[in-house]
Amino acid sequence: MEPVIRVENLVKRHAGRGPGRAADAFTAVDSVSFSILPGTTLALVGESGSGKSSVALCVACLERATSGRIWFAGQDAAALGERELRMVRPRIQLVFQDPANSLNPRWTVREIVAEPLLVQGRIPRSERDALAAQALGRVGLSAEYLGRKPGELSGGQRQRVAIARALILEPNVLILDEVLSSLDCSTQAQIANLLTELQRSYGLAYLFITHDLRMAVHLADEIAVMSAGKIVEQSTPEQILGGAQRPETLSLLVASGINGKPTNPVLQR
Amino acid sequence: MMLFVLRRAGHALFLLFGVSILAFFFSALAPGNYFDEMRLNPQISADRVRALRAQYQVDQPMTVRYAHWAGALLRGDLGFSFTYNTPVAPLLWARARNTLLLAGIATVLVWMLALPLGIWSAERLGKSADVALSWMSAALLIVPDLTLALGLLVLAVRTGWLPIGGMVSVGFDEFSPVHKLRDVAVHLVLPVTVLVAAALPVLLRHVRSAVAETLEAPFLRAAQGHGISRTRLLYRYALPAAGHPLIALFGFSLGTLLSGSLLVEVVMSWPGLGPFLLEAILARDLYVVIGGVLLSTLFLVAGNFVADLLLYWVDPRIRAEAPGR
Amino acid sequence: MNARARLLSAAILLGALHLGIVCAGFFAPYDPAAQDREHPYAPPMRLHFVDAGGQLHLRPFFYPQTLRAGSFDEYEEKKANAIPVKFFVRGAPYRVLGMLPLRSHLFGGDLPLYLLGSDGYGRDLLSRVLFGGQVSLLAGLIGATMTLSIGVCIGAVAGFWSGWRDEALMRVAELFLALPWIYLLFAMRAFLPLTVPPLKAFLLVVVVFAAVGWARPARMVRGIVLSAKERDFVRAARGFGASGAYLLRRHILPETASAVLTQAAILVPQFVLAEMTLSFLGLGVPEPVPSWGNMLASLQHYNVLVSYWWMYLPAVAMVPFFLGYLVLASLLQESSGAAKIEVARSGV
Repeated sequence: MEPVIRVENLVKRHAGRGPGRAADAFTAVDSVSFSILPGTTLALVGESGSGKSSVALCVACLERATSGRIWFAGQDAAALGERELRMVRPRIQLVFQDPANSLNPRWTVREIVAEPLLVQGRIPRSERDALAAQALGRVGLSAEYLGRKPGELSGGQRQRVAIARALILEPNVLILDEVLSSLDCSTQAQIANLLTELQRSYGLAYLFITHDLRMAVHLADEIAVMSAGKIVEQSTPEQILGGAQRPETLSLLVASGINGKPTNPVLQR
Repeated sequence: MMLFVLRRAGHALFLLFGVSILAFFFSALAPGNYFDEMRLNPQISADRVRALRAQYQVDQPMTVRYAHWAGALLRGDLGFSFTYNTPVAPLLWARARNTLLLAGIATVLVWMLALPLGIWSAERLGKSADVALSWMSAALLIVPDLTLALGLLVLAVRTGWLPIGGMVSVGFDEFSPVHKLRDVAVHLVLPVTVLVAAALPVLLRHVRSAVAETLEAPFLRAAQGHGISRTRLLYRYALPAAGHPLIALFGFSLGTLLSGSLLVEVVMSWPGLGPFLLEAILARDLYVVIGGVLLSTLFLVAGNFVADLLLYWVDPRIRAEAPGR
Repeated sequence: MNARARLLSAAILLGALHLGIVCAGFFAPYDPAAQDREHPYAPPMRLHFVDAGGQLHLRPFFYPQTLRAGSFDEYEEKKANAIPVKFFVRGAPYRVLGMLPLRSHLFGGDLPLYLLGSDGYGRDLLSRVLFGGQVSLLAGLIGATMTLSIGVCIGAVAGFWSGWRDEALMRVAELFLALPWIYLLFAMRAFLPLTVPPLKAFLLVVVVFAAVGWARPARMVRGIVLSAKERDFVRAARGFGASGAYLLRRHILPETASAVLTQAAILVPQFVLAEMTLSFLGLGVPEPVPSWGNMLASLQHYNVLVSYWWMYLPAVAMVPFFLGYLVLASLLQESSGAAKIEVARSGV
């Protein structure tokens, strides 16, 4: 099977600012490569500062990579201009970590979820509203949430709205940037289950970014461990649990408190 | 340290340079060439106009004129006043001295009032004394300078207690030194009152809020626990910590020494830079206007520069940042 | 009262004050340009309810003032003649908002009634204060609107597109901020033709305000735009393919709304004062059009200061407006919980 998305030697370097420019520059992503098969999940795991969020932003084309290729739908997304990118964008969507930040607090849920439709084309309002209600249904929220504002919702509900919004353009790939990190344990489990279900129903490919190796083990088909901008280890969850090779992976294992058994009984696999 | 000073100085110089260009181009673009107006004046011979035109190189390209003018500027030559027929610089300086006297005294007074009152207020935050002071200060804030200045003048006229404007009384030159001092002091009362009344409410509010914030800080309570006296606590611990916004304000106070009192000077007929500039504007005396604007800009920029230096000295956080940043 | 109610009340009260000025023609008994050569510098006339015989009248009345024989500025009341005040009288024509022609005035009398006195040409001061308010307030409002518009545009461009545009624009803004505001105002005004007809002078003044005042709002807006740009919902919208203009219009500029509103409440009185200052000094709106500033100009003459104290009254007219705007500004700041914006600093 062909991978739905393939990243080749992605590099992201940040220039320094002001005097002492050279000293300030640093490489956030140092030649990262991976591919994701349709309907599967690749987890990108690492500590803060390992560069995983930068990978997310570059793959979602929200930031320009310094070099490297992003093969998607037969094109190199990294080389496209803004106009062509507009065609591609609906197919790769990013869900952010903190829904308090990623949803405009002044807008209603209806406006938020329908926004991608508004931006992408001339779809009449009534149709937009219908599609928004549908999208909410997919993430388990009833249509009564349409009139509410993010401030009236719980963290889990907000994240569902964010996912609904990301799905409304029917993407092939969802990049999930630490989407569970700002939620409490039980909500984490619920959202994780929702994500799994959606993947099964729609054949979505996930790039799941997290610092929580335990979550990754439960959700991912393949795990890539990142440290200081590089992927230091990449294999299946069983292999990682069985005999992790790298010290970075080991410390992540310890940090997530894994002893080989799933600790959250609510999680399905 | 040196690097910081140099950076700030460079910044200041850049500003002055930019302003000088602005000022020059404003003047050059002024519609109604001054010399054309002069030509219409029958009292001035055509030859004189031609000579002046040559002197000011009116027919040269802009850049040449600017270079010429900037060069003269650096030598301290601010040009020539058409109205007074003398160089601008000494005229400006004589007037600027009077303004500095007035504004200087007012600024010292405002700070001497605002600091203790603000601290006193901050200590009693929310209590009746503080609220009363806030209300009085708000009442002052509402009254615009013009209203206050004119009002005091009207009052002075009707009561005859204070001289109505001017800096000295008739026959000043024959007064004894003590009498001279007293005369100027008496003339200072009204304008200084207006300036202080205008600046006090804002400064008071800033001192109060800055000190109030600091008074809540844990480090101050710790100091209190060490048994340090109240006054020492306030002036040696709280005030410096509240320093940042206050120093910026102080820089601003310094900076506006020349320009802030323009209106008051005109209303009270105080012979300072303000009325002089106004006259020059109405008389289209170009170089006086430009010179005046540049001089007061110099003060503003210098005031900010001094504030930057003081901040650097007082606030170790600025020193700790990467050098040159 | 909660914050919203307080804000609304302040806005309504301020609005009522403005409405009074808009309907100046109705509240003013006379045309502001109408001269009365028989009553130059007449002092304010008093309304009475109790007549010489001690009788109470419900309708107020007044005694006409005439010049004392032989003097040119001393008046005496002719107690013999009691003139009742009439309400809703038909008087000099005026237009509300320059459009609606009306002739009805709130009050008047058969003989001249100068509640605030008259000026050197015998023009009613009350009428002139009301009409003068139109000029001064309009200058403040238009000036503030223009300044903020320019400031928002420049701040948005600088903050959103960053890079060299940002650097260049902010350097220019710094330059403008380095110049003493009031001197810049004067200098700019001076470099434009001095004697212009009133309408042109008014427009000139407003343009000068905008040119001088844009730098501070621009910096403020830039700051807000810079931080709003980094918000995830803006990034998300970019992720759907939103253009820069869309982001600015629908996400970023609404974030600046409350700060801009607060700035407006601070700028309007500042500009009204600036107009008063300019006109007072002869650089603003010229005679015969009244403005609060140029009406005070006569006070620069010693004899006016000494003998005709009522000529000072236009200076007080500004105070309730100032109060209203200041209260509005601080309430807006409170309700938005925004960063501290310096309130009306004299000599900004």
